[in-house]
Amino acid sequence: MLEIKNLTKVYPDGTRALKNVSFTVEDGEFLVIIGLSGSGKSTLLRCINRLIDPTDGQIVFNGQDVTAADGHELRLIRRKIGMIFQHFNLVDRSNVLTNVLAGKLGYINPWSSLMHQFPSTARKEALEALRKVGIEDQKHKRADELSGGQRQRVGIARALMQNPSMVLADEPVASLDPVLAHTILGYIEQLNQENHISVLCSLHYLDLVQRYATKVIGLKDGEIVYRGTRDDIRQMTDAQFKEIYGEEAERVSAGTLSGGMK
Amino acid sequence: MARRYTNQQKSSPISAPIAAFLSIVIPGLGQVAALKIRRGLLMFGSMISIIGLMIWRIRLLGRLEEGFWPTLLKAFDKSLFFTGFTIAAVIGLWIWIVIDAARQTSQEKQYGNSIFFLILLVFFTIGWQISEISIVKLASDANEAWVPLSKILWPWDAAVTRAKDTVEAGARILIDEEGDNPPPVPELKEGEPYIRAEPNFGKLSSLDEDNEIVPGSEIRLYGKNFAPNTRTQIWWSDAIGNEFQPRYKGQYLSTVTDENGAFEIEMIMPYRLVPPSARGQQIHTVMARQVSEVGPLMPSEPLLLTIELIIETIFMGMMATLFGILFSVPISFLAARNLMSSSPITLAIYYLTRTIMNIVRAIEPLIWALIAVVWVGLGPFAGIVALTIHSIAALGKLYSEAIEGINPGPIEAIQATGATKLQTIMYAVVPQMIPPFVSFTIYRWDINVRMSTVIGMVGGGGIGFLLVQYIRLLEYRSAGIAVWFIAITVSILDYVSAEIRQRFV
Repeated sequence: MLEIKNLTKVYPDGTRALKNVSFTVEDGEFLVIIGLSGSGKSTLLRCINRLIDPTDGQIVFNGQDVTAADGHELRLIRRKIGMIFQHFNLVDRSNVLTNVLAGKLGYINPWSSLMHQFPSTARKEALEALRKVGIEDQKHKRADELSGGQRQRVGIARALMQNPSMVLADEPVASLDPVLAHTILGYIEQLNQENHISVLCSLHYLDLVQRYATKVIGLKDGEIVYRGTRDDIRQMTDAQFKEIYGEEAERVSAGTLSGGMK
Repeated sequence: MARRYTNQQKSSPISAPIAAFLSIVIPGLGQVAALKIRRGLLMFGSMISIIGLMIWRIRLLGRLEEGFWPTLLKAFDKSLFFTGFTIAAVIGLWIWIVIDAARQTSQEKQYGNSIFFLILLVFFTIGWQISEISIVKLASDANEAWVPLSKILWPWDAAVTRAKDTVEAGARILIDEEGDNPPPVPELKEGEPYIRAEPNFGKLSSLDEDNEIVPGSEIRLYGKNFAPNTRTQIWWSDAIGNEFQPRYKGQYLSTVTDENGAFEIEMIMPYRLVPPSARGQQIHTVMARQVSEVGPLMPSEPLLLTIELIIETIFMGMMATLFGILFSVPISFLAARNLMSSSPITLAIYYLTRTIMNIVRAIEPLIWALIAVVWVGLGPFAGIVALTIHSIAALGKLYSEAIEGINPGPIEAIQATGATKLQTIMYAVVPQMIPPFVSFTIYRWDINVRMSTVIGMVGGGGIGFLLVQYIRLLEYRSAGIAVWFIAITVSILDYVSAEIRQRFV
């Protein structure tokens, strides 16, 4: 379970990216964050594993205070939280297997990992993870030789290697076409339902939100302006929608994925 | 687009005639007054420079003449096109600028920038004249260049040599018209080469007041006991032992011995500049010489020297690159903006490092070599010092740009897995840095070897020194060997470095 209490982030240049954000992610939930670019979604996700240090507030993950954790504790927390990125964030010049094995870095001896030595169990696990996302045959290719969808699968496999109890996904399908978007979200949903990994995911397309989310929060200018369940969002009114996405937003009818919203 | 641009223009505070008048007084002033300030300044600057350059060149063309008109006339006489064109262009430009000034006061229309093309054309014409470009010379002197050029293009007959065997005999000759006290005639001995001059005294060829040759005395040479049927060269040795091959009708004097090894040849005593202090009786020697090549073909000295020095050159490049890497890696971190922008102090270090590197890089390795020669003396080490200094600056810049170009995404991703700092560097930073580092390093090695082929010209060791020496001694074949080796080495290196870089990036 993840509890966010009064989370605030002020950047050094004075930008208030998050203002008093509080919410809870129950175990096994698929919580989707919606909101415009710059509404604070990425900042929020990065505060949870402290890639960005929050200015104020508290984050409690499975009973542990993330905000107060020191270096070693923080690493132990981080390795239980997988993360998937919009731009995949793979090391382009390393091969697929190395990229996936990197997910295990938090678990293995730092010194032997510096020599690129991984225990054979980790290698087996990595192959297993690649099989799960269906790209086992690409394991020796360099990451930059893969297509976008394949690269995001590597990203998922890397997150899987952490044996996470939670996955943070920062617009995981924003760089992919609509068909691939369903494939990738399908894998994430699979993790959610079969492995009982709670998911915290930011998305842009309303129909994807309606299809995958069990709970939704809407962010605008760093504040939560909307909370709802999957059913709520199916009946979402244009007024509510415009409240999140601004006056100029037009609703994209459910079923069409081609029209993105800005 | 253009319309919108004109609409934003400020209206001109003056009328067209005033603007035109202002530009008659000072070209460009009218445009400035019409608030086309940059246009006006550009025109003013161009006109001032063109007029200045024109006056300078015309005065140079007409130098030694007094006064304005004689100078101008002489300039016209020496270079009609240049003088005529620049004066006409200046007048034309001035008129055009005046018209332009009047037009610039109008808000409606924007008149083109073709005037700047004319200004450029004038600059190029002046540049043509200043740099003394002469197409005629290219053609007229081509036959002069052909002899050395052909030797450089195909130098390989100088790459091999054979041991030489020389058969030689000499006879002394008194330089005195009267022939008092002539030197003894050599004794004829069985089996020994022998030469006799008849008479063994005479007058050298000389120059009269008009630098015309006055032929010297005629003498006849008799040779015996030489190798039969072999070409025999005639050599002359003056009073202080300087040897040279006299010519007869432009050809070096030589003959072929008969089947008994004897010859007979007539010659005119050659010209030799004799300083007044050395006038008077002198003893010269005339010699007959048969040179034959014996033994197997062997690599010649120029070839061996070239190979030695090309090896030295390659290693100079290698060592300079090594030292360059060692120093530039730490420096590159100081010059990477993304690492140094955290505080004002580190930012100051960043700017300082960048500035120093830019200055060092702006000075060519050849100039660094001149300094290094003073510092550590002649030889390859000076070249290495020069190339190292330049490499540090160049590699430091390239490396720091590679560091700045690192994608932060993978770093974030590896951090998020719970990896330690060291693991993050090893898995997210190093894989991103190695390819550009290797690529830049190899590229630099390539440049360094190339540079070390010329750095010897200023005494920095390597093959350049040899090349310059051969060219100055007019040994074009040997120089050709060096040029060939440089070309071969550089192209191989070029290929290898491109191959390696392709693999890594």
